Amino acid sequence: MVSARSGDVDFIQRVIHSKLSGFVHSTFKRTLNIQCLEDGELYTIACNEIDNGPNTLIVDLASFEDMNINAYDEVHSDNNIISIGNKMSITIDRANSWESILPTYPANTDVLKKNIKIMKQYIEIHGKSGGIKSKSVNESPFEQEMSKMIQERKGLLTDELVKKQLHHAVPHAVSLLGLGPGLTPSGDDFLVGLFTSFHLKNSPFVNYQWFFEEIERAAKTATNEISYIAIKKASVGKIRESIIALVNGLLEENEEHLILSLKKVLNIGSSSGTDIALGILTGLETNIKIGGTL
Amino acid sequence: MTVQVVVKANTYIDSVSLMSLSTKANQIEGVEQAIIAMGTEMNKEVIRNVGLMTQEVEEARTSDLMIVVKAENEEMCESAFVGIEELLTKKNKPSKGSSEVKYSTIKSAAENIPDANLAIIAVNGMYAPREARKALENNLHVMMFSDNVSIEDEIALKQLAHEKGLLMMGPDCGTAIIGNVALCFANAVRKGNIGIVGASGTGSQELSVRIHEFGGGITQLIGTGGRDLSEEVGGIMMLDGIKALQEDEATKVIVLVSKPPAPIVEEKVLAQIKKSAKPVVVWFVGGDEEKVTKAGGHFAKMSKEAALKAVLLAGADESKINKRALNLPLVEEVRAKLKPEQKYIRGLFSGGTLCDEAMHIAMEKFDNVYSNIQREPEFRLKDVKVSQDHTFIDFGDDQFTQGKPHPMIDPSTRIERFIQEAKDPSVGVIVMDFVLGFGAHEDPVGAMLPAIIEAKQLAEDEGRHLEIIGYILGTELDSQNIEGQINKLLAAGATHASSSQNAGLLAREFVVKGE
Repeated sequence: MVSARSGDVDFIQRVIHSKLSGFVHSTFKRTLNIQCLEDGELYTIACNEIDNGPNTLIVDLASFEDMNINAYDEVHSDNNIISIGNKMSITIDRANSWESILPTYPANTDVLKKNIKIMKQYIEIHGKSGGIKSKSVNESPFEQEMSKMIQERKGLLTDELVKKQLHHAVPHAVSLLGLGPGLTPSGDDFLVGLFTSFHLKNSPFVNYQWFFEEIERAAKTATNEISYIAIKKASVGKIRESIIALVNGLLEENEEHLILSLKKVLNIGSSSGTDIALGILTGLETNIKIGGTL
Repeated sequence: MTVQVVVKANTYIDSVSLMSLSTKANQIEGVEQAIIAMGTEMNKEVIRNVGLMTQEVEEARTSDLMIVVKAENEEMCESAFVGIEELLTKKNKPSKGSSEVKYSTIKSAAENIPDANLAIIAVNGMYAPREARKALENNLHVMMFSDNVSIEDEIALKQLAHEKGLLMMGPDCGTAIIGNVALCFANAVRKGNIGIVGASGTGSQELSVRIHEFGGGITQLIGTGGRDLSEEVGGIMMLDGIKALQEDEATKVIVLVSKPPAPIVEEKVLAQIKKSAKPVVVWFVGGDEEKVTKAGGHFAKMSKEAALKAVLLAGADESKINKRALNLPLVEEVRAKLKPEQKYIRGLFSGGTLCDEAMHIAMEKFDNVYSNIQREPEFRLKDVKVSQDHTFIDFGDDQFTQGKPHPMIDPSTRIERFIQEAKDPSVGVIVMDFVLGFGAHEDPVGAMLPAIIEAKQLAEDEGRHLEIIGYILGTELDSQNIEGQINKLLAAGATHASSSQNAGLLAREFVVKGE
């Protein structure tokens, strides 16, 4: 029996109070995704090195390799235990509940502006290119075209956002969905970062839920199911722990903390962390440019 | 320069491995450019912009991994794919069911994938027997999608497979689920304890999705090909399939689906059922109940009935199953809307067995039912382009597929015919199937939607009600989003039938007059 260390409060409540049945959707070395038949959502079981996140349960294991868990293996829950075929049983009895709570966008943005500058410089040097951050050398025609499209579309989106033209911004955001290499396409990661900044309490965008919903609706068919679930959750301000830590770092006057939390985010996926971080930066800069409320 | 593409269905590889793979793939000798990316519309747009668009890329889904290789010639492309597959195998253990790579010969495939135990043959029927023989000689089970294979070749291949203890599914076998891996036109269904042997593709699909809907699951779905139960072939694969499921520990209940076999073959099948320690449900469309019951089998007249019997025999709690009873108030409502002269059903199907089932349901009440697949010559359509009284057309039949893709992939022929039928004032009901699942059209209802709206409007302008019934064969696990497909159908003003059986029953009951 494997113990869950912590998990998204909604995921834990679902296992305790209602049925969770489904099948394994996809498996990776340190995570596996479960397709739930009751609500159609993907839930993630992650190893102990992974941070908390929406729909995610962290278990006391270093890897799922050699467990012979395969796509379509049956999953069900009973008595606070999640069973994956006859290959793994996870008890949630000792799991700490974690909840995604974003901080408040500050009235005084001086510290934030300073930290944005630091973060930009750091990403310039240490961020991974190939997605939102262009590669400077050895680009294939595919990479060049991809980069050109990402930059153009990102530019069009931010222009409309700064002009407060949310209705005009939606198609440009949608045009980024599913665009880019990687399991979670770079355009999707960028939007997750952007949504994070816009969902800070008191952000000028926080009350424009229709904007997020329209993009989320389009994402359902525009990208793969794994990436879609991240966008779906981000569209209601539910973000993984390491990203929230980075946003907290951006609001505090503590450079060391900022860099530490940024490093963790940049380590997500291949270019995903960098793409998310750049989305956060774009969102915060837009918040600053707009100021006040929309 | 040559561009070749491999699309790996439902394959998720973590981003770090994917990027590393992409970099290494571009370094393979002879490769000018290699692209490895998820099959989203936006990524396809990039590929289009750099001039590497192909049909395979066009058809890739958001959950598919696209591998596009541009190299000097075909040989180099193929060797690049072998290299990429090696990298992929080293880096990742792809999820079950997602392994797919291109080899130009059975021999090279068998050498490069020593663990493989099944070959799918989908080449021109002229060459298919030769390839199938090579596969069997390499101890591979065979699923032969190809049709237009001679009956002599089929018999020889099936005899060889039988001697070697291998499966020879097909020719013209479109559906199988082996070891929980869906092959060709199969649906994504739950793993369970019910095994199916099917001589009809969509019939097997219908059984598997109904079993899934009733809470059951599938161990194996063994396709035999449509001619297996003919006198000439003698049911070699059906009999071997039943035996395989009888010996399979995970299978608790066996379900058979076919058109009625040739009498001599039926005897053999019934004898095999008699020997079975496991319950066997038999759905032979239009078959004889007495013979099956006498042999100790469980007879089912229709598909839903067969699936229900199977799940109950497999241990399901009947009180927890939603059997989806026929909507009788709706029957009354539609009858009242149809004019007296609107007497006929027109069934336009992409699935042969679904067509057959609806046709047999209609034949229970009407004696003027015509079709391109009628067994009685006098009720065969003289001209398949012209309907007569109650008409049921299988658009997957050879007359419609020569030189054209199957209607489950390309719905254009059916769309044209649909409008033609909608204009006929004697038509009360048009019933259609929409098949989801692996290999099927990405949005079958969406493709028909403008025509449905047009037909409805056309009828309304002429002051009549035209009832359109759509049945969507699929599960919530299929990639096409069944809920979205149903919603589209309902939004266009069509009636959604919850099963093939209900579609047939509703169509029949809607046009019954004076009851």
